Amino acid sequence: MTGNSDATPQTQLSDLPRYPIAEAVSPAELEAEVAELDRLSNSSPLRRGWGYLRLGGPGFIDAATTLGAGTLTASMLSGAMFGYKTLWLIWVSMGLGVFMMAAAARFTCRGGFRLIVMQNRHHGWIVGSLMTGLLGTGAVAIIFNYGQYSLGTHLIESLAPMLGFEFPRQINWVVFMAITSFITLNYGQRGKKGMVLVESFMKLCITVMLFCFGICLLLVGVDWGAMVRGAFIPWLPAGVEGIDLFVASSAAAIGVMDWVLFQYAGLARGWGRKHETLARFDILFGLFLPFVLINFLVVAVFAGTLHQVGGTHPETATELAGALAPLLGPTWSQVLFYIAFLAVPITTTVGMSLAGAIAIHEALGWEPDTSSWRWRACVLLPQIGFLAVWYPRPVWLVIAIAAFLSLSNNIVGWSFYLLLNDRKVLGEDRCKSYGWNAGILTLICLLNAVALTYIFNRLGWWVR
Amino acid sequence: MIDIDSRYGPFSGRVWGLVINFGANALALYGLAGFLRDGTHLVHLTVGPIVTVACVLLLARPSS
Repeated sequence: MTGNSDATPQTQLSDLPRYPIAEAVSPAELEAEVAELDRLSNSSPLRRGWGYLRLGGPGFIDAATTLGAGTLTASMLSGAMFGYKTLWLIWVSMGLGVFMMAAAARFTCRGGFRLIVMQNRHHGWIVGSLMTGLLGTGAVAIIFNYGQYSLGTHLIESLAPMLGFEFPRQINWVVFMAITSFITLNYGQRGKKGMVLVESFMKLCITVMLFCFGICLLLVGVDWGAMVRGAFIPWLPAGVEGIDLFVASSAAAIGVMDWVLFQYAGLARGWGRKHETLARFDILFGLFLPFVLINFLVVAVFAGTLHQVGGTHPETATELAGALAPLLGPTWSQVLFYIAFLAVPITTTVGMSLAGAIAIHEALGWEPDTSSWRWRACVLLPQIGFLAVWYPRPVWLVIAIAAFLSLSNNIVGWSFYLLLNDRKVLGEDRCKSYGWNAGILTLICLLNAVALTYIFNRLGWWVR
Repeated sequence: MIDIDSRYGPFSGRVWGLVINFGANALALYGLAGFLRDGTHLVHLTVGPIVTVACVLLLARPSS
């Protein structure tokens, strides 16, 4: 990792080959999209916003991916244990992540390069292919999909009796696999249509989550005063528990996989210089807002129910959902809750499968061809998570991957910061904003803190 | 003023800055752990955050 040292001219961006998946988008479609962006830039804010929502996509894919079993469990636990008090952590953590996502957008729209290839060239294979591609994204997609399968099949099993039939996990995993595989395999197929199908599916699922969790909250009721205080007045549990919660939450909202997925999903759409405003809008309204709103809703539902009941709470998502359901009242409201909750592991499986396949191809220098058997094999690798129906996750592997992530996410963050500020990489399009850099560096400090607390824990230096 | 985009030995100033910042983060956390445990390590707890803030302020400067 050498960073930039001299001011040699940047690579001629127009000479860079297009990302192969973007070949699915015809030049005529891309030109029509750019023309529409030009039209939208001169229209009213409302019309522009609607147009951008329609044209956006990678941000929604990222939101639906990052809103997984782990994130939602953390929100449920937070609401059940601390009520509304930790709401502020949600927007602060995602807000910090936005700075890094904007860097990914810059690499896509102005750089036009493939992130992992560029990391390999400037910061070495260990940072690019290994830390970012194979382990930071590929391995995470495969190993952490066990959790999505476990949650998804449990939810289907719990939902079925409310609809009048039994559907045990040992059978319903087939449905989970069929839905997620079908959506995932469509990416990059039939011109732009496959990509639009995946993006529309993610948008629909996010809408379902917002609508259903919103209805549940209306039934539960809101303590508006406590909610506003929780959203804007920082509070943490006393002592080391508070520090652990802050460090883990603030640095973990979005990570390497999300940065990679957004960068490559933008490349796959053929985004260029004129798409940067759309990309930023997509980050704010496709990723930031849905992520914050859905987590707010979940925290608030649990704050208004299990937190009021008090006592000790279960710790797994399935048990938490089971404990909440009777408190929601009528059966239809429980059905709504389970449907919204089911959308969480389904979309995360789809997003992680795509991110994993993209990263594995990049790390190993394979050209992604979405109609090849190699692509299909890679994109379906996370489906091995169906084994979660019978076996627990391989704990040693989860611990190993989690440890690796703790120790390497910050290095990948360093790499992003250096690429963004490197004249040789981005030329005149490099970062010229003090605030943007400061935001990225703040996130890097938190990622450093995650790595350090892991090391300190191992050395016995951390407080327990 | 230091030019953080110039090379100093094997790395550019920005890379050195990130390394120093990491050390400062470690110092701050080490001090925090000690302070929470038995009220000691005040020097680490003071120096770590100050150097961290200085690094962030310096490294946030865009390259000219």
